[in-house]
Amino acid sequence: MTVRHLYLLALLFSLVWPVTAGASTPKQDISGTVDNILVVLRNHELSAEQRREQLSNLIRQRFEFTVMSRSTLGKNWRKASTEQRQEFMKLFSDLLEATYLGRIESYTNEQVLYGEEKVRGKKALVKTLIKTKTVEIPIDYKLVRKENSWFVYDVVIEGVSLVRNFRSSYNSIVAREGFDGLFGKMRTKIAELRK
Amino acid sequence: MSKLITALLLTIFLALPLAGFAAEVQPSTTGPRVATENGQSAVDTEDDFDDPFADEEIVVNDPIEPFNRAMFWFNDKLYFYLLKPIARGYRIIPEPARVSVDNFFRNIETPVRLVNTLLQFKMEDSGTEIGRFVVNTTVGLLGLFDPAKSWLGWERKEEDFGQTLGHYGSGPGLYIVWPVMGPSNLRDSVGMAGDYFAHPLYSPLYFKLKTWEQYALYGLDSTNKTSLDRDTYEGIKKDALDPYLFVRDAYQQYREAQINR
Repeated sequence: MTVRHLYLLALLFSLVWPVTAGASTPKQDISGTVDNILVVLRNHELSAEQRREQLSNLIRQRFEFTVMSRSTLGKNWRKASTEQRQEFMKLFSDLLEATYLGRIESYTNEQVLYGEEKVRGKKALVKTLIKTKTVEIPIDYKLVRKENSWFVYDVVIEGVSLVRNFRSSYNSIVAREGFDGLFGKMRTKIAELRK
Repeated sequence: MSKLITALLLTIFLALPLAGFAAEVQPSTTGPRVATENGQSAVDTEDDFDDPFADEEIVVNDPIEPFNRAMFWFNDKLYFYLLKPIARGYRIIPEPARVSVDNFFRNIETPVRLVNTLLQFKMEDSGTEIGRFVVNTTVGLLGLFDPAKSWLGWERKEEDFGQTLGHYGSGPGLYIVWPVMGPSNLRDSVGMAGDYFAHPLYSPLYFKLKTWEQYALYGLDSTNKTSLDRDTYEGIKKDALDPYLFVRDAYQQYREAQINR
């Protein structure tokens, strides 16, 4: 049983699972997505565009951008108008996707180990470990259940929650420059990342 | 040099009985540790599952932001124009050798971690640190290798005086970005000063190295670390809307997580 076999098994499992059962566990959902991402990353026959599109689909299927947007803006969410909320959600999901894509591309050859899973009601936490030759990076996924699947609403890397980090940065920016300032910065960043 | 060897031998002999103890304790640790983790989960799920809608505002106390931003700018330039180019050249040394250099420095720092596990009464961790030091200094050839981890599964216990202070309830105090040393806060700066006395290379209490030797060792350690790092800072600069704010919050969260571990 090599690592590759395990990946194949996981891939098969994630393909077969929705058909055979009504509900999945958080670990199955997140490992399915992460393993599929790795499969796409390791497939050298894809063109850059195809790759990007497949990855984007995988990410958008698994991330709960509405919950993330709301908790990232925190108190400012309530102050925002409907248009501002819509605008923020669009920019935020584009930005997260671009960021995640940029990051994951450097993890092609790494090994991902799945650890403990904790479930409480509609929320769950799955611990994973990315192993490189020199370091081990603990990455925890926080998920929320919707119907029969689990969706990521926060990623915690080495104890640092991305949503908490965004919230603190974004609120500082909104306090100084307003929503327009924030949106402007986000647009510039998305353009930069997509270059 | 002879003083160094005497000190080393002395430590080894003093530590041996304790290491036996650590070795005995170690295999059983997985059992209770899992148990405590399960036992704790009821409590720490509170943190793990913090409500995404809660307005839990993590405010970093940063009254000297203009100064800190200036230092951040300085460190940024230092990194890109000095540290990084040096590290890039230094990378002609094969990676395994650089990992060994890192192992060597981390092994020498054992007293710092040991003292802080003791101060927090984390006795099992103290045992692990002593065991690791003995195994890695002997079988691991003066710490160049880490058989304690790869063969015995004894992980390094990252403890420092800042965490010890936090463990006993000290808040972070104001955020400070030091030139060269980077992000810190009042508590962790006091912590750094405390750890300095326990650090074999820099403390006036052990080998009494000359100042230039200390700078050279610090430089080597930093260069080596930078050479092993895979562009973490570049990534932050690329992704974050405001890298200063990103680092300020990430530092606070990272330290909180270390203290509550």
